[in-house]
Amino acid sequence: MSTIRRRTLWLAAASVGLIATGAAAQGTNPPAGQPAAPAPAASATNPPRTPAPHDAYVYIGWPLDGATVGTKFKVWFGTRNFGIAPAGVQKANTGHHHLLIDVPLPPLDQPIPNDRNHLHFGLGQTEAIVELPPGKHTLQLLMGDADHVPHDPALMSRRITVYVRG
Amino acid sequence: MRIIRVLAVVLAGIALAASSAVAQQSTMPPDAKVYIIWPPDGAVIHGAFWVRMGLSGAGIAPAGVQKANTGHHHLLVDVDLPPLDQAIPNDHNHLHFGLGQTEARLDLPPGKHTLQLLLGDENHIPHQPPLYSKRITITVVQ
Repeated sequence: MSTIRRRTLWLAAASVGLIATGAAAQGTNPPAGQPAAPAPAASATNPPRTPAPHDAYVYIGWPLDGATVGTKFKVWFGTRNFGIAPAGVQKANTGHHHLLIDVPLPPLDQPIPNDRNHLHFGLGQTEAIVELPPGKHTLQLLMGDADHVPHDPALMSRRITVYVRG
Repeated sequence: MRIIRVLAVVLAGIALAASSAVAQQSTMPPDAKVYIIWPPDGAVIHGAFWVRMGLSGAGIAPAGVQKANTGHHHLLVDVDLPPLDQAIPNDHNHLHFGLGQTEARLDLPPGKHTLQLLLGDENHIPHQPPLYSKRITITVVQ
């Protein structure tokens, strides 16, 4: 019985992963309102971006979109066809996770901000215990390179909504 | 008397050499934990599948990267734990994830198989204390 339930969970998790693939694919296009500046002009103000393979993707393995959770809950970071490396480590096809809480994506050509809405996991963590006040919250993962700049294409999960119990 | 002293010095030298021969093991926080997120123990799986590797209280770093409280996953397939004070073997039963991967696609022949995770440091040597998951058994069906 529990195997079936677990399998259902797995299927649900897999579908989250599939959706995340779509999200990552969409991420290849620059967001609206961000004109693609010519390379020389961009390099003057923007740091260089680390390339990422097109089959790499990032997803939130847990919680599921729409889940109701306690005030303290585990978020599990899924990464496929890509490796994890701590911040500051330069190695092709690796990066570290950033968890965006209740914020839209930051500019993808700049280092990811470091504050309460943008949690950095520079040790190379692949999960985190998050504590949030009761209510509706959004969660999204964004991979950053050695210098916290998103890859090209950017590796981000779908933005999910969770409900924290009062 | 002198011979005994010389012998003692020689023995001490051997002991020192021996202790340095055993590679220095990286440490890990006592609450760090490695576990297999998926599949669950006892799962019956059709065909190829993804193994999801979980790590709590520590970080992932690719092989060759020296950083405190990090390591990389090794997946032991159908094999017992290797010696925990030596580099983890690299073969079909000991899969290395030196890029810092946290998921792996496995395609195993039908039948019962065991899976266990063992974290290794930058030199593929288990930490002190060693971080390994429970050894689970799965059944692959066609």
